Amino acid sequence: MTKDNPVNIENKIMADIKSGRVKLRSKYIFIAEKLGLGSAFALSILLAILFFSLILFYLKASDNLFYLSFGSRGLFAFLESFPFLLVASVIILIFIAGFIIKKSGAFYHKPFGRLALGLISLVISLGFILTFTNLAEMIERETFRPRPTGMFFRPFLQRGFENRRSGIAGRAISINDKIIDIQTPRTLEKIDISHIDTSTIITLIPGKFITAIGERQGDVFIAKDIRIVNEEDILMIRHGVHEKFGQFNFKTTTPPPGGDPTHCFEGQCPRQKI
Amino acid sequence: MPLSEHLTDEELVVVIREKNKELYSEIIRRYTPKLSHYLRKFVRNPDELEDVLQDVFIKTYRNLYDFDANKKFSSWVYRIAHNEAINHLKKYHQEKTSLDAQELEIIDKNINLPQTIDTALLKIKIENSLAQIKNKYREPLILYLFEQKTYEEIGNILQIPNSTVGVLIMRGKNLLKNFLQSYDKR
Repeated sequence: MTKDNPVNIENKIMADIKSGRVKLRSKYIFIAEKLGLGSAFALSILLAILFFSLILFYLKASDNLFYLSFGSRGLFAFLESFPFLLVASVIILIFIAGFIIKKSGAFYHKPFGRLALGLISLVISLGFILTFTNLAEMIERETFRPRPTGMFFRPFLQRGFENRRSGIAGRAISINDKIIDIQTPRTLEKIDISHIDTSTIITLIPGKFITAIGERQGDVFIAKDIRIVNEEDILMIRHGVHEKFGQFNFKTTTPPPGGDPTHCFEGQCPRQKI
Repeated sequence: MPLSEHLTDEELVVVIREKNKELYSEIIRRYTPKLSHYLRKFVRNPDELEDVLQDVFIKTYRNLYDFDANKKFSSWVYRIAHNEAINHLKKYHQEKTSLDAQELEIIDKNINLPQTIDTALLKIKIENSLAQIKNKYREPLILYLFEQKTYEEIGNILQIPNSTVGVLIMRGKNLLKNFLQSYDKR
């Protein structure tokens, strides 16, 4: 038994060490492990902060929150346009950072709950501070470019530009009693407004941005309610439309005296950089 | 007396790492009794115990560069032993803890058992009760009662905050007491 024969175990191990069967692991392996863990922790925290700031930007600049202004009828459109991938990514990144802390045993003297709370506060506060810079907007613009950074962030933000089944947002280009033609970041759409009270869009003119809730039937979106939106409030939709269709130079159907008779198609002018 | 015997564990580790690997035998000599005493609470079979102990010393040697010489070596080596013991329990089965007479006395003092009972019976009861307590409570309790480790050392070994150590030990004692009382009712 070990207690009675400690020499036995000592001899066995020392024989293994002397013969080289058991070797010291290089100190560089441990340094590399620590650096790797440290980098993974820093990266996950930085990404969590950046993604949190992108969530705030998304909520502020997309049509997502506008659907709530329609009351409970806008809930589906709100959920459809909600940035679930971004939110899930932030949660997963915070979990990864917490796991690394726990795994490294660096802060085991502190209660884990307090550490987790600290991590969440750090991500929220720095993410919030980051919204005061134009980093999120730059990233959003980058998603339209075929560059690696754009390709990396595109999946996280593309929900803001996708066509939705129960909500729609875009730039009106022609309006009549029954149909409004709009440009969305993806395509041209027709909104059927024949079943709704249009008093809320009495001031709608081509070039203005609108959001509507309803349902898609074939190529037409049947509106249940519609609102005019300040384009500054849905920057993502505006950028998307500008990227797809170019800037809007509003012209009336009747060209102004002495003006260019070949005015832009239904208010659509050649694409130019904004 | 060899020079290595005057060195602290931490100084010895530095010398082993940088100069003389053979001095590791001194570490083995110092820690074999302590670690086998600790591991016996998890592994009863003497052959298995020897295997686990050997694994602990080999793992300790291999990872010597991972040890921060500014910290306490004993906590670090106990942590490795603790991990190996837990791996052993996971791989095999939860075994009954074996106690000696001195340890029985420690339990008796700490838990304040109300009645005087036959020592042999008490030993069986305590061993069975300790086996029933979750590892979460059993580990700090064993380190505190039988290895005479401080809260800080237990915190370093189990990598938990000192305040949590206190709570776990208190709950562990209560659980042990409840198990022992439920034995009496049977």
